[in-house]
Amino acid sequence: MATEKNYGNPELENKLRDRYFYTTDSNPEFLADVKKISRTIAHMCYQCGTCTGSCPSAPRSSYRIRLFMRRGVLGLEQEALNDPDLWLCTTCYSCTDRCPRDIAPTDVIMAMRNLAFKYDIVPRNFLKTVQLIYTTGHGVPNNDVNRAAREKLGLTADPPTTHSYPEFMPGIQKIMDHYKMKENADRILAEEGQ
Amino acid sequence: MAEAKEEPRIGVFICHCGTNIAGSLSIEEVMEYAKTLPGVIVADEYQYMCSTPGQKKIVEAIAEHNLNGIVVAACSPRLHEPTFRTATQEGGLNKFRFEMANIRDQNSWVHMHDWEGATAKAKDQVRIAVAKARMLEDLIPKSVPVEHSALVLGGGVGGMQAALDLAGAGIKTYLIEKSPSIGGRMSQLDKTFPTLDCSQCILTPKMVDVGRHPNIELYTYAEVENVEGYIGNFTVTIRKKARGVLSPDEAEARGIIGGGCNGCGDCAEVCPVIKPNPFEFGMAPRKAIYIYHPQVMPLQFTVDFDSCVKCGLCVEACGEEKKAIDLDMVDTFEEVKVGTCILAIGYDLIPIEEKTEWGYKRYDNVITGLEFERLICASGPTGGKLIRPSDGQIPKKVGFVLCAGSRDNTGGVAKPYCSRFCCMYSLKHAHQIMEKIPGAVPYIFYMDIRSFGKMYEEFYYRIQNEGAKFIRGRVANILEDPSTKNLTVFTEDTLLGRPLSLEMDMVVLAAAIQPKPEAERIRQMFGVSKSQDGWLLEAHPKLNPCGTTTAGIYLAGVCQGPKDIPDTVAQAEGAASAASIPIHTGEVQLEPYFAICMDDLCAGCGMCVPQCPYGALALVEKNGRQVMEVTEAKCKGCGTCGGFCPGGAIKMQHFTSPQICAQIDAFLLEGGEQ
Repeated sequence: MATEKNYGNPELENKLRDRYFYTTDSNPEFLADVKKISRTIAHMCYQCGTCTGSCPSAPRSSYRIRLFMRRGVLGLEQEALNDPDLWLCTTCYSCTDRCPRDIAPTDVIMAMRNLAFKYDIVPRNFLKTVQLIYTTGHGVPNNDVNRAAREKLGLTADPPTTHSYPEFMPGIQKIMDHYKMKENADRILAEEGQ
Repeated sequence: MAEAKEEPRIGVFICHCGTNIAGSLSIEEVMEYAKTLPGVIVADEYQYMCSTPGQKKIVEAIAEHNLNGIVVAACSPRLHEPTFRTATQEGGLNKFRFEMANIRDQNSWVHMHDWEGATAKAKDQVRIAVAKARMLEDLIPKSVPVEHSALVLGGGVGGMQAALDLAGAGIKTYLIEKSPSIGGRMSQLDKTFPTLDCSQCILTPKMVDVGRHPNIELYTYAEVENVEGYIGNFTVTIRKKARGVLSPDEAEARGIIGGGCNGCGDCAEVCPVIKPNPFEFGMAPRKAIYIYHPQVMPLQFTVDFDSCVKCGLCVEACGEEKKAIDLDMVDTFEEVKVGTCILAIGYDLIPIEEKTEWGYKRYDNVITGLEFERLICASGPTGGKLIRPSDGQIPKKVGFVLCAGSRDNTGGVAKPYCSRFCCMYSLKHAHQIMEKIPGAVPYIFYMDIRSFGKMYEEFYYRIQNEGAKFIRGRVANILEDPSTKNLTVFTEDTLLGRPLSLEMDMVVLAAAIQPKPEAERIRQMFGVSKSQDGWLLEAHPKLNPCGTTTAGIYLAGVCQGPKDIPDTVAQAEGAASAASIPIHTGEVQLEPYFAICMDDLCAGCGMCVPQCPYGALALVEKNGRQVMEVTEAKCKGCGTCGGFCPGGAIKMQHFTSPQICAQIDAFLLEGGEQ
């Protein structure tokens, strides 16, 4: 279990040296933005932990939904948006079902992802997904293995989605163009030199 | 329209209420404006009108300016109308020559940041109040005598304490309990926190005292069927449910000398019908003729006629001498007259099985706190041996789920309030398993530990020191291993920031509590309001926590809101004290707001009679024709009849049509002229 912590890393050492919470770290607009996008009473969280306790991601990762709720309440925008864990939510909505305060923590995470996208903070795989949807209409496009399996089951090789109706692709692209999703994904990936 | 008997001479007094009012509007402007109103002779202001110097201003102004009407612009009539009425009376006026303008609750508090708007509104309010004050009349309150007896509904620890206090003060008290024995929820508990007194040991002497007290008339297995009347003169109809068993007194009344039930239990021995015992939450059997537990008061058996097959074996076993059992018994009714009533009807647990994530009633080893009490109790179904319901094994790891349905805003069976005693009883349960089962470890899953009472925090310290594990995190869900019937509890340790899944042998849910289902019928019968959560509503949460808005009806215990035993007993004593005041005074003054029928305008149509929610109206014959008559003591002055009367024959005192018209005119017309 115990793995060596890399104390040789100057950046990490710097961070470990100072762990205070400064009010200047807090952006009060962040909570307002989160509430506006998520349309849930994010500020009413009383940190009971039911969300993390319900979360299928939490036992398998460092993702803690309760921690993101707290960061939202405290306005810790940079800390929340730069944490790669933000993208580990599977949006199963178990936390939303059980939250005793009737908050929708899942929607809070979705709002934070929206805000992160504005800062270009999106993991590569999500950007690739954007590109895939733009070209195929699917986050996970059909492949040959699936096609073979479908045919074996007596189904059409491609499902009755954009795979079978490519004429709907321009519509999907139009929606995505409106939000500049493809454009931004391409740009960010290009900047990263991908 | 106004009766121009005398020129109105009004004094207006404006209260700053510290900065409550003065911080949000211009007192000066409102006062200067008041001076310009017709009929106003003098206008004044003071920092606290309710203080002694403030009231003195009213008294002195009446004498100095020969006033005949007083207007105070201040807080709410609910808070200080009696204060200013007294001052008006001290000044030599009839105390109903007073009118209040609520410029605090209805103005400065709601328009806190609108100085101009609040000032303008205060002017409107004062103008309206002055308009009414110009038309006020002398009213004489009526007194009614008070019956020297009281009723307590509910024989739990709260009801018992209230009854004992009333009886001790020399008042004849009727104590009504719907189950066959008094004792209530407290008799189901094993020990009480934080002293760890045995619950029954401290309760039984009280039960015996209640049974023995010459001033207490105890009606167990009885319900209130109907209530009529008003403070001082309630007529209560009691339904004595058919018990099937005679007490010695009842037997004697039937001419069976030396007979009646002595609690020997011969009947239950021969009874062939076996049913689950609700006192033990179905975990123990009982016969169709039964007592709940050995300490019942009165010690008298009861036939459950829903399950009795009327085989008659019990009658035979009871014998010719006692002749205590009568299987043909039917419900009987009895009327009693009382001056005041105390409601102490208690609580239920919520149907926690509807919060499916915790698996109650789905998993054998998930139980509620009350079931735990029975399982750990020496007189309980297992003789005090805590065992798992699934296999009778002794649990070593027991999880306690706090806030199970409490502090939960999701609706359904969940309750937004704190149920107040679950933290403490869960601590107690944790102690009990560590005491009784060597090596047992309790895990307490909590959001906050609310140990706010006397010696409660010290109790928390003690349990922590004894080795209970406290995990700060609300339990998300529980899953059962179908083969072992062990339970896995999922939560986050929010202090560690890590999700946990812990395997437990047994889980105890500290379920939220809710009002009893019959509370709704009872509160309607007694004319008591309810709060948003369904608990019976006190008259004022801080200044009148035992009273209700219906004069003569008082509350004690959890029916008013969640409480532990000390708080219940304290409130019961408070309610008993409040309920005994009118009885000892011997008479009560009624507000003279009752309706008056102007006989010459009344057509005797009788349409008002069924409209009255208080049954205060009747048609009577006067001077050879039918007219309506008001029973003044029953009338609450609600105005339903007055608003309805097609002939305008009903006058609502203190809220007469001319007075209300003057107020509307003052608002609409005089306001428009400026």
